[in-house]
Amino acid sequence: MKVEDVQPNMTKRRVVVTGIGVVSPVGVGTEKFWSALSAGRSGISAIEDFDTSALRTTIAGVCRDFHSEEFFDERELSRLDRVSQMALAATEMAVKDAALKAGDVGGFDTGVILGTGFGGQRSIEDFCGAFFSNGQGRRSAIAIPKSMYNAPSSNIAIRFKARGPNITVTTACSSGANAIGQAFYLVRYGHAERVIAGGADSPITPVVMDAWKEMRVLSTKNEQPARACKPFSANRDGFVLAEGAGIVILETLESAVARGAPIYAEIMGYGSTADAAHITFPDPEGEATAMMRALSDGSLQPSEIDYINAHGTATKLNDASETEAIKRVFGSRAYEIPVSSSKSMLGHSMGASGAIELIAATMAIKTKVLPPTINYEEPDPQCDLDYVTEGPRDVSRLTGVMTAMSNSFGFGGNNAVLTLRGISV
Amino acid sequence: MMTSEAVQSIEVTVRSIICSELRVEPGILTNTTHLMKDLGADSLDALNIALRLEETFEIKIPDEAIPNFLTIEDIITGVRNHMSHT
Repeated sequence: MKVEDVQPNMTKRRVVVTGIGVVSPVGVGTEKFWSALSAGRSGISAIEDFDTSALRTTIAGVCRDFHSEEFFDERELSRLDRVSQMALAATEMAVKDAALKAGDVGGFDTGVILGTGFGGQRSIEDFCGAFFSNGQGRRSAIAIPKSMYNAPSSNIAIRFKARGPNITVTTACSSGANAIGQAFYLVRYGHAERVIAGGADSPITPVVMDAWKEMRVLSTKNEQPARACKPFSANRDGFVLAEGAGIVILETLESAVARGAPIYAEIMGYGSTADAAHITFPDPEGEATAMMRALSDGSLQPSEIDYINAHGTATKLNDASETEAIKRVFGSRAYEIPVSSSKSMLGHSMGASGAIELIAATMAIKTKVLPPTINYEEPDPQCDLDYVTEGPRDVSRLTGVMTAMSNSFGFGGNNAVLTLRGISV
Repeated sequence: MMTSEAVQSIEVTVRSIICSELRVEPGILTNTTHLMKDLGADSLDALNIALRLEETFEIKIPDEAIPNFLTIEDIITGVRNHMSHT
């Protein structure tokens, strides 16, 4: 083996999204996902997989249309936690969508950067259950490789022979956005030619639901699941836990054009900051600085942003803090920018949410339809922006390509913001 | 010495464990079927099968014995030997 002369490219290469794959509570595949989101349809429903009688919250964003047996045989399924199943299925869709053949993806030039908050949580609970039940449960030699946090990204690499940088990012609710940001840098500065990037999480389990219950941040509006999540509304009472996976294929504009690939959008900039304040209490300054950096990194002015896909969890604290951060960045223009929360329909899929919402923002740019914030009922004086509450908004009147921002703020004070722009063809 | 019924019962159980762990049909197993070469098992499958055998037959299979647990015949013999030693 000889040492190759690999020099990082210090000129900024332009990076585009050429493929999308999504597993979400409103549907599997971009078409179903976007037709639901752009019509304001909720994917929240009652949990049916386990007994919820001891829980205060009995609803979640379950991916009911995800049938893993359509993607994997029984043997494969026994080796893959649900989070890996979702990540792999979304990757398969994204690779196909990018018009890449399985052979084109392989090799040392393709990286995989994946975000997850909970990793193989279901498998962890299985083997903990077996351990604590004094030999009654089913132990397994596969428990570790199935549950480790890097299992989804490693499984993607194995299946697609992607041998470049393979890194799992775990920054709670901003994991997916940080993963895409890091992947963007790899391609921009020449450390990889293309990256399979995104997030996946499958945390709807009895143990996790019980743990969230004690934090009192989940909505308890169980009677009307589709109306439970009310971002920015004064009567909001918390987020709705969800699962899913969102994967994008990032590559250089040059390579996408050369191979005649479909181009969804260009990733313009990435801003990542830490609040360094409190483990859960958000800090508008950390959030605003991440937004400012995502603008300056993409050589964008605040005046150029046409749409913000908000973190918008529907907790009291997040929505007020995010609104304040947007005002600090955009000043009086904050009131003119449409801001919407896809979580009002999808729930909060933790480490997947940043990636799935980047996809939502990408589709908004491409179709010039803004997904709404559904379930908005009562004005909150602390949340006074244009939250697209009237339903999906047609913005085809905007001439030229659109530019958007996607916000993700995680517990731990981890903020990740991406800016993206349409491509004129 | 084990009765022939006991030996037969071990055989049936071993085959059933292998089929369920590797998701294969019982009909394809012969005495010389090799878990890795013929059924595509890997080292993790072999460990899982050893774990199931330990639980089912209440035996201890030492690490160094696992490489000998790879054909149906060897597994059955191995289980019988371990059972008679415990």
